[in-house]
Amino acid sequence: MRISAALLLTLPVLLRAQHDQSATPKPNPAIKDPVAIAAGAKLYNQSCGGCHGPDGVGGRGPNLVRQLQSHQLKDDELFAAIRNGVPGTDMPPTSLSDDDTWKLTAYIRALTGPASDSRVPGDPVAGESLYWGEKAGCGGCHAILGKGSRMGPDLSNIGGSRPLAYIRQAIVPAKNDPSRNFALYGKEGVTVTLKNGKIVKGIARNRSNYSLQVVDTKGELHLIQMADVKALAVLNHSLMPEDYDTRLTATELRDLLAYLAKQSIRPASDNAKEDSK
Amino acid sequence: MKTILLTLLTLTTAAAQVRYEDIVKGAGDNWLTYAGNFQGWRYSPLKQITLQNAANVVPKWTYHFPDANGLRTSPIVYAGVMYVTNSNSVHALDARTGRLIWRYDDGQAKRRGVNRGAAIYGDSVYFTTTDNYLVSLDRQTGALLFSHHFADASTGTISTSAPLVVKDKVLVGSAGGDTGMRGFIAALDPKTGAEVWRTWTVPARGEPGSETWSDLHEWGGAATWLSGTFDPDSNTLFWTTGNPWPDYAGKPREGNDLYSCSVIALDLETGKLKWYFQFTPHDLHDWDAQSWPVLLEIPWEGATRKVVVHANRNGFFYILDRQTGKFLKATQLIDNLTWASGIDDSGKPVIVPGKDPTAEGNWVCPSVKGGTNWMGQSFNPGTGLLYILTQEECGMFTLSNQKPVPMKNFAGGAATEPGGPVILRAIDPKNGKRVWQYPVGNTSRMWTGVVTTATGVLFSGDDDGHLIALEAKTGRHLWHYNVGDVITASPIIYAVDGKEYVSIAAGTNVFSFGLFEPAQSVPVPVITLEK
Repeated sequence: MRISAALLLTLPVLLRAQHDQSATPKPNPAIKDPVAIAAGAKLYNQSCGGCHGPDGVGGRGPNLVRQLQSHQLKDDELFAAIRNGVPGTDMPPTSLSDDDTWKLTAYIRALTGPASDSRVPGDPVAGESLYWGEKAGCGGCHAILGKGSRMGPDLSNIGGSRPLAYIRQAIVPAKNDPSRNFALYGKEGVTVTLKNGKIVKGIARNRSNYSLQVVDTKGELHLIQMADVKALAVLNHSLMPEDYDTRLTATELRDLLAYLAKQSIRPASDNAKEDSK
Repeated sequence: MKTILLTLLTLTTAAAQVRYEDIVKGAGDNWLTYAGNFQGWRYSPLKQITLQNAANVVPKWTYHFPDANGLRTSPIVYAGVMYVTNSNSVHALDARTGRLIWRYDDGQAKRRGVNRGAAIYGDSVYFTTTDNYLVSLDRQTGALLFSHHFADASTGTISTSAPLVVKDKVLVGSAGGDTGMRGFIAALDPKTGAEVWRTWTVPARGEPGSETWSDLHEWGGAATWLSGTFDPDSNTLFWTTGNPWPDYAGKPREGNDLYSCSVIALDLETGKLKWYFQFTPHDLHDWDAQSWPVLLEIPWEGATRKVVVHANRNGFFYILDRQTGKFLKATQLIDNLTWASGIDDSGKPVIVPGKDPTAEGNWVCPSVKGGTNWMGQSFNPGTGLLYILTQEECGMFTLSNQKPVPMKNFAGGAATEPGGPVILRAIDPKNGKRVWQYPVGNTSRMWTGVVTTATGVLFSGDDDGHLIALEAKTGRHLWHYNVGDVITASPIIYAVDGKEYVSIAAGTNVFSFGLFEPAQSVPVPVITLEK
């Protein structure tokens, strides 16, 4: 476990260093090509999934989804890491052809890119009913395009901004994930008793020693100075239900994921350009 | 007593929705539009910071944008929350502490570019992405309500200006005029983003005005990249337009190139053109008429006259009749002005021959940056003066003989910006006469606007990265603070819990200032963990 954490921190640096030294072909002909991605998936399952997990969320090796979200690598940097391995770690070099390495790169891109770019199995219509119905009850906390409660994070663009594996883990975290029940510091469920007797219950959007900003159960924002607070109770776990692995069947989870993956405010992005006027 | 006060200070923003009636009143504790009021005054009626105590203004907080570069946002403040923008993002801050409450990022936007600010109406905060989506967000939580695509970036149009909400319409402009596009102003539905009307600033072939273009109707520019102003009495919008494209090459667009470098008056309900006035016909120096048209009432020939006043990039200051657009008067805004010897009785410039861009280069004053630019000006009803940042910079204009290709970064030539004196000037808008001036630098790197208050205090910035306070009546220095970066945005003023703040974006940060108060010790909060 300690090794994995160290890898997580050092891998981007190692990958960049390698990229500087290795001459690799620049354009990736396989990116977004569904046939190449399917071929890449096969290669991944044979050679990579054992360490990085079948959906890229880690195991013996680092969580690629989380890592590539926070440290964006260019295609050729990813290519170089697959080709050359990462010295000093368990990540070995490979002997795959250029063509196969690009296919693998394309698959990892699809795996770690926005869910809306992926082919997601499942019935999004059934997933929509689950989302807004009582069984999954997502809309009770998470709004989509203005519908639903605004207390929890907005999911209008969840498919357009997060990989499928990331969304799946948010709903059904791995049993052995020690961060499973941790609420994000400063974003916890709170009950605030003010010196004037008023009580505010909701989710903190920000909390410091000096001020607190809370969205209550009705979606109303409260700006609070800590000097005005008499008592503050903080939930020690996330408000996100923990029983989706038993509450939903495998098919229902798949359908819900299919619906969430579709929540994207626009089609896939091109390379950004800068404009100044 | 202190305890009671502190208790009262607890603020909730379960405030009512922002209505047209709130916006039309202009700035107060809240700052609800880009220019502070519909008339474009950048004026605050707040009275806590005065000529006497401005020396005690101190920084209250700083908010850092992790991914910014030369912020141009002008904050909006409502019910204790400040909304500031960066490229494709809005950040909502606690206006008392600068703490981030929520942020919205459109990571999928196809372009990145500058963003000048947000708008607020109802329970929504609006802004536009660089690639022309109008985004509506719940003002309290940042939840997305809609993201509506109103123009295609592949036709050269991008979006940089703050939307302006007037009654039941969100007005958006268009940018990108230096590389070819067709300018427009569009009114969109605040609930859905659906288009109500769109008025093009370059007429289509066959329409009136199209004869002033030999060609290039689809790419002529005349962008609308700064928010406009609004006259509630006549239900009229006033919007300025940018340069014709290609910027420096006139041959492909022989004629006056309507409605470039103009102010246009539009009916709010229909977008129909009521009148126009063109400041620089057939512009060849990239002198967008961008600085917004300020709406005033001035004594004129023995009566009170509703006018539009405008400080133009071409170096002249104009007074126009607000109902008809009739030219009333123009004066020289800057001293170094070589392209025209004056403005004739009809409002047309008297051109000095030989000042067009040439292959060898032609030295012309003002430079491409202009006598002034988009930095926000302020009108103060107490002093009766208009405050404008001006530049005494000249530059070399060269002409290219290449064929114009839209969207290929082709401006038809080039222009230099060698630097020159930057001067904050107080103008009497009744006659265009200069009342005082204050030098603010020499490198012309900054684009700082002005705000003034009911107590006669003026805040602006200088070329050396200082936020400055001056006496609005005289230009006397009161205070300055080094923000540590080039300022390319305009200051605003707001109040929360009865405390007045001045805020400005600079470089990668937003700063808020207020009067000095000794810190109160805050005990470490006692937190109980709940299961």
